[in-house]
Amino acid sequence: MHLDVALSTLVHLLTTPQLLFLMTIAVPMGIFFGSTPGLGGKLGLVLLIPIVFGMPALTGAVFLCAMHAVVHTGGSIPSILVGVPGDGPAAATVLDGYAMTKKGLAGRALGASFGASTVGGLLGAVFLGLSLSILEPMILMFSPAEFFLLALLGITFIAMLSGNNFLKGLISGFFGLMVAFIGLDPSTGDERYTFGQLFLWDGVSIIVSVLSMFAIPEMISLGVKGRSFDPAVAAAAAGKSEFVARAAAEPVSPPARPMKVKVSYAQIWEGMWDVVVHKWLVLRCALLVAAIGVIPGLGGDAAAWMAYGHTVQSSKNPETFGTGRVEGVIGAETGSCAKEAGSLLPTLFFGVPGSSGMAIMLGAFLMLGLQPGPTMLTEHLDIVWSLIWALAIANVICVIMLVAAAPWIAKLGSVKAGFLIPYVIVLALLGCYIYGGNWQNLVLIAVMGSIGYMFKRHDWPRAPFVIGVILGPIAEDSLLKSLALGGIGFFFRPISMVLVALIIGSIAFYIYRSRKPALNKAAAVKQDLGKPEVKHA
Amino acid sequence: MLKRLLAISAVALAATAPAHAADNNIFNGKTITYIVATAPGGGYDTYGRLTVRYMQKYLPGSRFVVKNVPGAGHIVGANTISAARPDGLTIGTFNTGLVYDQLLKRPGVRFDLNKMSWIGKASNDTRALVVSKKSPYKSFDEILNSKTPVKFAASGIGSAAYIETRILQDALHVPIQIVPGYDGNEAELAMLRNEVVAQIGTANSLEQFVNNGGGYFALTISETNDLPMVPKASQYAKDDRAKKLVALVSTLSHIGRLTVGPPGMPPAQLAALREALMASLKDPGFLAEAKKLDLPIVPASGAEVEALIKQILNQGTDTVAYLNHAAS
Repeated sequence: MHLDVALSTLVHLLTTPQLLFLMTIAVPMGIFFGSTPGLGGKLGLVLLIPIVFGMPALTGAVFLCAMHAVVHTGGSIPSILVGVPGDGPAAATVLDGYAMTKKGLAGRALGASFGASTVGGLLGAVFLGLSLSILEPMILMFSPAEFFLLALLGITFIAMLSGNNFLKGLISGFFGLMVAFIGLDPSTGDERYTFGQLFLWDGVSIIVSVLSMFAIPEMISLGVKGRSFDPAVAAAAAGKSEFVARAAAEPVSPPARPMKVKVSYAQIWEGMWDVVVHKWLVLRCALLVAAIGVIPGLGGDAAAWMAYGHTVQSSKNPETFGTGRVEGVIGAETGSCAKEAGSLLPTLFFGVPGSSGMAIMLGAFLMLGLQPGPTMLTEHLDIVWSLIWALAIANVICVIMLVAAAPWIAKLGSVKAGFLIPYVIVLALLGCYIYGGNWQNLVLIAVMGSIGYMFKRHDWPRAPFVIGVILGPIAEDSLLKSLALGGIGFFFRPISMVLVALIIGSIAFYIYRSRKPALNKAAAVKQDLGKPEVKHA
Repeated sequence: MLKRLLAISAVALAATAPAHAADNNIFNGKTITYIVATAPGGGYDTYGRLTVRYMQKYLPGSRFVVKNVPGAGHIVGANTISAARPDGLTIGTFNTGLVYDQLLKRPGVRFDLNKMSWIGKASNDTRALVVSKKSPYKSFDEILNSKTPVKFAASGIGSAAYIETRILQDALHVPIQIVPGYDGNEAELAMLRNEVVAQIGTANSLEQFVNNGGGYFALTISETNDLPMVPKASQYAKDDRAKKLVALVSTLSHIGRLTVGPPGMPPAQLAALREALMASLKDPGFLAEAKKLDLPIVPASGAEVEALIKQILNQGTDTVAYLNHAAS
């Protein structure tokens, strides 16, 4: 484990004022980019790369890593408070985080998010450090066949995340897959659904997809006055049966968002204590995601959703997720942050990025003169350990800053709709435009945002769509490579067989669960409000 | 032979071009946008940012701004440069492999490299075949004589690496099974996993993989001197199709990390930019920084690059037909 190098680099980081200063200013930058809808951590990296050009390699790399380590933690803030995610992984936090805010549990959701992110990030860094010596054989064990099966496993989560609307969830997921396949066919180079537009050759970006499905619909929904009514009262007033009144009425919906979000430190601590209560869930998600992040080919975005999917799957009441389960926030946030540490490994040692953020980071490393490859382990171990520590230290600085500022941050949830809506929409449009430099993305987000609103309006689950968009290209690319490399026999490798068994088991488990009587939702809600909780298996 | 041809072409072009002494104050107070056809970070961006830093020095009063315009395999960036106003205030860089896209008349291409204003180039783009040390093949001859198809990794369909692999397959009759879809360093990882045997790429970017013991250079498709001990593809080109295609790839190899402007740039601006670029690429400070970043520098003037590009693009119809067949 190279303990001497690990300790000496930690001491160096903590005792070098310049590095400490850069890490300290990188953290609020990362929080800013992560928490501003439409910007996101990847854009932050893109904007900071020209600034680090010319810096010493270690300085620049530590600065960027520290910034990148906390963007997902920052991204949980708008996800929880206003239901607007900044990127793919953050959309998983919206499902339960925003639901908690609507129930008046914003403080607890934030606390759980901050705690889970920090612990997830730290566990990811520990995993990274411990696995250095077994890294190469671990990475080389996985081939495109395994990537395809992992992607398939992730796609099976579509069912689990569909709630009670399995058919709608399936359609939503396949719609996501359809959108994911827009672009050039990887096997023939033919254009697929590009309509002759060059900007679609690289496909629809995940940022556009996520903002279209979550940010835009939420803002439209805020702008449309929600109506809640009591069917019995309406029926009595009209002299009709309740059945007729219900059939003719618009769906009853909860208030669009709370009028005022107030968060106290007590609530924050309660949420952070939830992370301790669910420590085994946190550990499982962190290890799962860090391991997936280490294996290049699946991508970090997928890893975060796998963590959420595992959380849902391992719960005794999976159908209640999406209604405001704190475990949903914990699983999603642990996954979002742990993956970055894992995905740093293949980036440094093979030059193959383990996540979309690391793809940008890789370019930055090359620009700083860091040559990824096996020599990082033999000749630049000090840099490797410095980056591991930078990830860990940044997470610690981040949680201190966020917990201290939480009551003020929470005021975001109380911002009037009239101000929030244009702000979020403009930022979402700006983010889509800046990220690709294509004005056509603005048209795309308008069209897809309308579709996303229809999904929300008619209670179609949107999480499966995001899973389809993220995992579709990975699944297709891996499948084509697998078939080209070894035909169908490629899937009879030992690890592949284990994954096939996992997929079958996962589906069987879901079918078994769905046959059990539905859990009383009120009982599950009571659990969230402080009564003794049923722990995960 | 090639060097003589280059020299003659450069002289001819210089003789026919109107004589303009470069006025390096011509951009005083102006902002020049340098478009990089990739996302920030990576080789093109690094070369671009380093280059403009020194070009600023040799164009007093000027200010350079790097703008990243990625998309569609550099085509979006190249289209953007081509469509810019030809006043010298927009220049940029993109992958030399776009020559293939123009020759093959790929949809989406809105530039004409024949008409662009060539400012210069910073490096070579020597194309080489790297074979995995884990494979049973110890030389190119063994691959050539293989009884079963040999798996080669390539990036996307239509990319330069894919086309060059198809050229080896089609023109040199190498038994290859191409597995596309390997971006960046994924092909090296695939070789370490023993999934594929070889890949074609830029010698410079594969050098570290070779130095780390992952593979060896089995063949170079270029006539550059970057890999003097490695067999050259021209030795294996027996027929007219093979000779012409290998010559095409080889000529392209001399142009790497180019800097170019839109068509119709005024001669005064073009001359100033060319002179500033050449001065930058020879500046001791630039060379020291490039060495630190492990960026090889083999400069050539805009006139030389222009001559090469015209030579490449004005291939006979037979060569284009061969290329079309290889790329199909």
